[in-house]
Amino acid sequence: MAGMRGFHKIDEFLYEIPVSFREGMRVPARFYADDELVAAMTGDRSLEQLVNTATLPGVVRHVLAMPDMHQGYGFPIGGVVATALPDGVISPGGVGYDINCGVRLLASHLRVEQVAPHLDDLASALFANCPSGVGKGGQVKLKPGELDEVMEKGARWAVRRGYGTEADLERTEENGCLPGADAAQVSARARDRGKDQVGTLGAGNHFIEVDRVEHVADEVLARRIGLSPGQVVVQIHCGSRGLGHQVCTDYVNLFQKAVRKYHYELPDRELVCAPLSSPEGRDYLAAMTSAANYAFANRQVLAFHIRRSFEQVLAGKVKNFGLYQIYDIAHNMAKIETHVVDGRRRELCVHRKGATRAFGPGSEALPEVYRDIGQPVLVPGSMGTSSWVLVGTEGAMAQTFGSTCHGAGRTMSRHQAKRSVHGAALRQELEAGGIHVRAGSLGGLAEEAPAAYKDVDRVVDVVHGAGLAKRVARLTPLAVIKG
Amino acid sequence: MTHPPHTRGPIRRFEEVEHTADRALRICGRDLAELFTNAALGMNSLMRSAAGGRPSVAKEIELEAIDAESLLVAWLSELAFWAETESLLFTRFEFLRISPTHLNAMVRGDRVGAFEKHVKAVTFHNLDIRSEAGGLAATVVFDV
Repeated sequence: MAGMRGFHKIDEFLYEIPVSFREGMRVPARFYADDELVAAMTGDRSLEQLVNTATLPGVVRHVLAMPDMHQGYGFPIGGVVATALPDGVISPGGVGYDINCGVRLLASHLRVEQVAPHLDDLASALFANCPSGVGKGGQVKLKPGELDEVMEKGARWAVRRGYGTEADLERTEENGCLPGADAAQVSARARDRGKDQVGTLGAGNHFIEVDRVEHVADEVLARRIGLSPGQVVVQIHCGSRGLGHQVCTDYVNLFQKAVRKYHYELPDRELVCAPLSSPEGRDYLAAMTSAANYAFANRQVLAFHIRRSFEQVLAGKVKNFGLYQIYDIAHNMAKIETHVVDGRRRELCVHRKGATRAFGPGSEALPEVYRDIGQPVLVPGSMGTSSWVLVGTEGAMAQTFGSTCHGAGRTMSRHQAKRSVHGAALRQELEAGGIHVRAGSLGGLAEEAPAAYKDVDRVVDVVHGAGLAKRVARLTPLAVIKG
Repeated sequence: MTHPPHTRGPIRRFEEVEHTADRALRICGRDLAELFTNAALGMNSLMRSAAGGRPSVAKEIELEAIDAESLLVAWLSELAFWAETESLLFTRFEFLRISPTHLNAMVRGDRVGAFEKHVKAVTFHNLDIRSEAGGLAATVVFDV
């Protein structure tokens, strides 16, 4: 259904597809975009996928898509779907294979001119110390039974093992540990895939990036968060590795039977789901939570390796090279949250697939340090371009179950990107622009070429304009490490 | 799934089709065994490893599923699992038994140094094994 119409504009940056559009829709579908982004969305099947999610049992108010939406499998990437407890459904495909894929932002006390002479060494140290690439194992050897602790305690396990501090946990979504994990619901095969991948980056679109704060859009908010122009910061983008992928694979497979049992008729088998109150739904939630905690632990150990790399390269050359955490957020997750729907507080399961939680000021879920300004939102752009730090808003709470965009969003397929971009030439181009690149695979680098993505500034303009988040600061890359 | 008219003749084994975020293959085969073989070879082509020589590793695989589509996902997921955890790339496939809900296969391959691409998962997205003039066809979307 590329080229799909049937939607109408209901606000400057908001479009709606009514329930009358297709039989089986239980709620309208809404998406945020400007004219150019609408054109990109209608160029693939993402709107059709969004409409499909509106057929899920128990879905409330409307299904939503952020301006970085693009075609996924089952749910579109950039989709937000809330279902009501107790009998609304949970869908593993609504979370995705990389459970708790997310972003962590660390900040230094250093200015770009202090780090610039050492950037090449820093890129090499980061590449050497942070295992990356296809199926790569890490340096953390878990004792028997310790994987269960990783899944049940998340980043708290890592801090207990000396890979970080309490301050890191305070500045992590859910303090780095979602309640309700049950490692017994995670298969032997998932454990096998995850047992030696704690503290590894993986491949695909995952990266570590050393950035500078290039522009501050809101000085007061930036100061509160701990950012200033010219400052050097580091982003980590990765998730739950093979363990999370296997949890999703296992439950999408198991739920093929569940949809028959609960007599659901769905437009796509990747949308399989089960009631949250059912044994299948509860087991998946407990397994997904375990994988999410594994991802928090993974980013915590990677942060440790990054701090170690800064120390290796900068100790004795510059003072005060430590890194402190700004925030760590998930963008592939289903979470039980309370939101006001039609004037009534309701317990919902909010699926965010390629969308970021963006709780506004006053939310009790936020650490005290950010409670009065809203949650920091980390929006990585495409490689070699820019990224944004935003904060969540009351507008997001009112419109999108406290959610906003998660990145730039692809426009070109990986296949097409590889055909039209040469990895070695791209690397040269990035390096000519002053960006130090370390990549395990030139083919993988080509797939992530900036030309394959939308303009992140445009995406951020839409969420800012629609009141789903507020701009704080823009980051530009100094060094990129890719698997 | 319904059985196709039994026809013979050359058909394209697999080809890549465009997908914005991930990778998708359209796979054909004269029967289930050939479809599953071609699906495995297609997935190997995505992982792009320099496999060669005489296969030195053999493994027997037995899988059950509720229908042919689920069996296809289980089959590819099984092979992707061995690729990720043991760096095993299977290139020869002998189906001892195969039906839409069960397969028993002997697979042969080799340990490889590195894969260029990692198949993180095999999805059910719009998956439907269809009967066509030349046999069976399906489009599989891979999370990479």
